[in-house]
Amino acid sequence: MRSGVRTRAVLPWILATCVTAVVAAHHSTSEFDYTQQVTIKGTVKEVQWTNPHSYIQLMVDGDGGKRIQWSVEIGSPSLNINMGWRKSSVKVGDVVTMNLAPARSGKPYGTLRVLTFANGQKLEGVAARVGGGQRGAAPAPSAPAAPSARKEP
Amino acid sequence: MYHHRVALLLCAAALLAGVSARAGQIGAATAGRQALLGIWVPDAAPRALLTSTGKTPPLTREASKLYTERRQRLGKGDASFDPTSWCAGPGMPRILTMPYPLEIRADADRIAFIHGWYRWFRIVDLGAGTVDPPLPLTMGFPVGRWEGSTLVIRTAGLIDTTVMDASGLPHSEQLTLIERLRVLPDGRLEDRITINDPENYTGTWDTTLTFHRDASAAVTDDVCPDRMAGGEPAERAAVGRRTASGTPAVSARTPAVAANAVAPAPRLTGVWEPKTFGIMVPNAPLSVAGQEIVTRNAAAMQAGRIMQTAWVSCRPGAVSTMTMPREKIVILESAGEVTMLFEMPRMVRRVRMNASHPQTLEPGYVGDSVGRWEGNTLVVDTLGFNGYAELDARGQPTSPRLHTVERFTPSADRGSIDIATTIDDPEYYSQPFTIQRSWKKSPARHPFEYDCMENPRQEDFENAYYVRERYRPVCMRVEGEGMAPSKMVCRL
Repeated sequence: MRSGVRTRAVLPWILATCVTAVVAAHHSTSEFDYTQQVTIKGTVKEVQWTNPHSYIQLMVDGDGGKRIQWSVEIGSPSLNINMGWRKSSVKVGDVVTMNLAPARSGKPYGTLRVLTFANGQKLEGVAARVGGGQRGAAPAPSAPAAPSARKEP
Repeated sequence: MYHHRVALLLCAAALLAGVSARAGQIGAATAGRQALLGIWVPDAAPRALLTSTGKTPPLTREASKLYTERRQRLGKGDASFDPTSWCAGPGMPRILTMPYPLEIRADADRIAFIHGWYRWFRIVDLGAGTVDPPLPLTMGFPVGRWEGSTLVIRTAGLIDTTVMDASGLPHSEQLTLIERLRVLPDGRLEDRITINDPENYTGTWDTTLTFHRDASAAVTDDVCPDRMAGGEPAERAAVGRRTASGTPAVSARTPAVAANAVAPAPRLTGVWEPKTFGIMVPNAPLSVAGQEIVTRNAAAMQAGRIMQTAWVSCRPGAVSTMTMPREKIVILESAGEVTMLFEMPRMVRRVRMNASHPQTLEPGYVGDSVGRWEGNTLVVDTLGFNGYAELDARGQPTSPRLHTVERFTPSADRGSIDIATTIDDPEYYSQPFTIQRSWKKSPARHPFEYDCMENPRQEDFENAYYVRERYRPVCMRVEGEGMAPSKMVCRL
């Protein structure tokens, strides 16, 4: 179920398309709209711990009982490990809520800000880092840390 | 009193014997290491692994079924169960079965295997003892030790989406490998591999691969997507001396003996990581032609299109490793060569020390680098680029006229390296300019790995803007469900 769509100007557009351009490690992030926030809740169908990007395929209940498969980019293996993820962090069948920046295309696709488990535990995705860092250089990730308890925006 | 003297003498003798034995072990390890160094060419590069006694591996019933199915697919020309077919990581032991040379480099703490297929390398940690892999990787987390002059490598943490050989021999994430490498009396290198994977095999089994020296062989900068775009297979059929996109020219290589001589005082050796992620090169003095390209790129990005640069299309140039440093870098130093192994983008850069550029250079992504020490600074001069590299996330271009001079200065405590890279490319920049980056010592024992071609997704390409036509991917097909494909791969 797409439980809510909230919009607010989080960042100047140029920041989203330029300064943060390879925060996701590989390609430009211009395909995502960082001024948007979409929250979806569903069941994990697949976790792809792959390069250049890692993904979670999430099955979400849509209108009329139709199930929609969302593709959510979560980062890249090295980046996610540095952010505290482990391969066992998210499993097929987990019911999770994801806050993400959606694709500009309007397709069920986005980049993860925060994933919240049923027990309230949270994991940050690559989009949580958008906007951080100085122009021309983004901060290198620190050593592996415990999963974040950051408050969902 | 007499008994005390006898006891003392016995103690001293035991101590001397112990020291002598230890010295003998160290001597054997040193000799073993020196014998391994250099370039090796596979004797057979088997398409299908057999046990050391020539038998089919002891597959479980389920694994046997899967293996039979894969062999049938292979018979019909479908090798898509093998990630190498779309230039993704071969993994272990698959990469050892490929018909490409490999080079062994080493320092006191690690052994590096630099493979001739698409810039892959693996780093064997000699100091870890045990390792707890945070995530399986194609090359796993190899840990080594010396038993006399034999190098014993234990590898765990291997990803299960690779295959053991070209015929599709399966394995799971439970796979562990124990390799025993030694140089045989006839001069060949033997790698006897013990394979333990209870999910797929009814028992432990071993296979033996051998390699020989070939003075004309070189481990060049192989770029798989370029070969595929040129109509070649992802993996060639037999051992060859050159790759189509390989650089530098063989004549520009340092002879193996000189390259491997011990560096008198290594100053850069170790594992490093960027202090910051550099993703922009601000204030570059773009020429009119350069500005035109950057403006075009910006317009495409503002339209929401995904910019496909050399980096994004998995064939970045060496200059990108300096302007956009990401993840860990392993440096190995010997008297003749400083070798830089970059995790992301995956790349092997070689700096031939106290050497000159050859008169004719075959253009390539990494160019030809020569170095010299000026006091405490390593100065690296690089020519011979092919012009397929962008300096940053805006796609600031480079041309074959690019000439870089990098100055690597380690700090007094050896905890960091400052790098000043001067970029001179009159095609796109009105004057030379310098960018500064810094690396710091990494606590990591192993670099992670970046398998850029592993999972190309439809979303990455359906709204793409290709900065250069060369970056357009080849042989894609959708593998997924209806309108929600989750993977895209290439097929031979």
